[in-house]
Amino acid sequence: MSSSTTFADAPAAARSAPPILEIVNAVHAYDGVVALDNVSVSAAPGEFLTILGESGSGKTTLLRLISGLEKPYRVGTLKLEGVDVREVPAFQRNCTTVFQNYALFPHMTVGANVEYGLKVRGVPPKDREARAREALRLVQLQEMYDRKVHQLSGGQRQRVALARALVPRPAILLLDEPLGALDEKLRVDMQVELMQLHKQLGMTFIYITHSQEEALTMSDRIILMRKGKIEQAGPPAEIFDSPISSFAAKFMGVDNCFEGELVAVSDGWASVAVGERRIDGRWTGKSAPQPGAKVAVGMRAEWLQLSDAPPDASGEHNVLDCVAEASIYKGKYLDRTVKTALGPLKARIWDAASSARHPSFVRWKKGDCIVMNA
Amino acid sequence: MSATAMETYSRRAVAAPSARRRLSTSPRWTTLAKGAGVFAIVMIYIPLVWLAVMSFTANPLAGIPYPLTFQNYATLFADARWRPPLYTSLLMSAGVAVVCMALSTLVGRALTRMARPGASLLLVLMPLFVPGLTMGAALFIFLRTMLNLTLGMWSIFLAQLVWALPFCILLVLVVASRFDLRLLDAAEDLGASPWRRFWDIEMPILRPGILGAGIFGFLLSFNELPRSLFVRGIETTMPIYNWAMAASQQSQVPIIFSLTTILLAVTLPVMGAFFWVLFVKLDKN
Ligand SMILES: Nc1ncnc2c1ncn2[C@@H]1O[C@H](COP(=O)(O)OP(=O)(O)O)[C@@H](O)[C@H]1O
Ligand SMILES: [Mg+2]
Repeated sequence: MSSSTTFADAPAAARSAPPILEIVNAVHAYDGVVALDNVSVSAAPGEFLTILGESGSGKTTLLRLISGLEKPYRVGTLKLEGVDVREVPAFQRNCTTVFQNYALFPHMTVGANVEYGLKVRGVPPKDREARAREALRLVQLQEMYDRKVHQLSGGQRQRVALARALVPRPAILLLDEPLGALDEKLRVDMQVELMQLHKQLGMTFIYITHSQEEALTMSDRIILMRKGKIEQAGPPAEIFDSPISSFAAKFMGVDNCFEGELVAVSDGWASVAVGERRIDGRWTGKSAPQPGAKVAVGMRAEWLQLSDAPPDASGEHNVLDCVAEASIYKGKYLDRTVKTALGPLKARIWDAASSARHPSFVRWKKGDCIVMNA
Repeated sequence: MSATAMETYSRRAVAAPSARRRLSTSPRWTTLAKGAGVFAIVMIYIPLVWLAVMSFTANPLAGIPYPLTFQNYATLFADARWRPPLYTSLLMSAGVAVVCMALSTLVGRALTRMARPGASLLLVLMPLFVPGLTMGAALFIFLRTMLNLTLGMWSIFLAQLVWALPFCILLVLVVASRFDLRLLDAAEDLGASPWRRFWDIEMPILRPGILGAGIFGFLLSFNELPRSLFVRGIETTMPIYNWAMAASQQSQVPIIFSLTTILLAVTLPVMGAFFWVLFVKLDKN
């Protein structure tokens, strides 16, 4: 990323500063379909906030509420930079969007597209051009100023859309699955570039994605959405390690999830009956329910260890006997399915040579086993 | 219509099932299509060329292109009676064209934003299927007999507008239905007020349709006869004048030949150039 004068490096954001975005109890519906159900979000200046969720969970709707393109059915507070913007139309709000489909103006050149946000603000043509060229340099498209939009590749269009949104220097940059249409390699490159850009500009980024891997890589904080509600919010490591529900766990790639009945819970540890078996693990759910309640147990495939001899009963592990089933070769690792009293479990083996050929036991640390709301 | 549209169309034709392709590219069908095309072109242009040739002959109605003379043109330019109807028509058609552009843009935009435009679309396009004389008579009865208004320029204008507008709306709709409304969201997001969004984004993209509506509005109005006849009051447009002259006074026929020839000689190249600029040149950019 090239250095620049107007997009100067900004000091690290002060997390204690008042929020740059504040939404309290937003409700929105499209003719009867509830898209947002009492959602509250806030963002600190300079934060990289990711909204994660499957298709149809209301991510775009939330973004359009912030940009002003959608007027919420009801909202308690909607503040940008501390100012109530509930009645401010989109074209007067200090935030811009990189749209999922880019929405570049087909009848304008790349330069005119990038300059448009300045043109409507009455910036003189010369300054406009200088700033547009600089933004294009920032996204490594300096040569493309005079091109037509239809002469660009998908990745280049994505960068033009990014430059166009950056040029008015908004307080908040909204990105709606900006890498969704790109191929794998380009997507990884762009992830890195976006992160560098974010660091360099010190701007608040609100980033939508349905990819947990993208969210974990890029964000300061993740908001996981489900059917128009916020399922869980927190830093990537927290959501990754301590999903509060089986939905969050499955979304964050916890391969093995089972339902069980809570037997006991104390000091953050929980004991669960799954069928005949007792499984112990960390309680990561919200407020712990009474014993007897339905809860979920989860463990990642990479934490399961397979062996052909009975492991020592140290009390630190959950142990089950198992029968080996299919294994899938994935290059870097091997995914092995074993049948247990709980049902099939998936174990990930990184060192295929030294692992048991015909495992009859599977064990995992109690600390690597999570117990959460069903 | 436009070059891109043609391109998509031809690509689709290529993608058709192979049986269909064999049929459409078989030499016999190609020959037949070429023959029909040539026949159609001949049927359109021979009478026009004949008309032009006849305007240079001494006695056009005799049907013999001999002897050649400029006499008809001399008579035409010596005569001043056809000029007021021409000016009336030019002004009227220009007015109809402008109003058509504005109204068809408004209606076209509204229709493409509706969730279910079917019924409204049908209602808007229905006047296309009402015969001219019926429409003229209906307008006359409504305006003159029922409302007891004095007919004149305004009623001719109204009748021609009713006639031309559906065509113009169709032309705008062709472009407007392909317009991506999300572009307006993008412009709004970047800070464009409603007015700027229209001028900077929507208008330029709809322009071919709007200009096309203007051209067709002008042409349809300029040639309109049956409706104008009913609601003309005491006014005379070019088609009314030509029709009256051709129908009643034998002695005037030769100068009608000259007049229509001049109109054709002016209109065809101008329209040709206009369409070339509109759909070939603009499309390339
Ligand atoms: N313009 C609209 N009209 C009707 N329903 C809509 C519209 N936009 C979104 N929805 C519905 O609202 C819900 C949330 O949509 P959206 O915010 O686009 O989700 P996401 O971006 O997470 O995929 C979905 O059920 C979707 O079908
Ligand atoms: Mg979306």
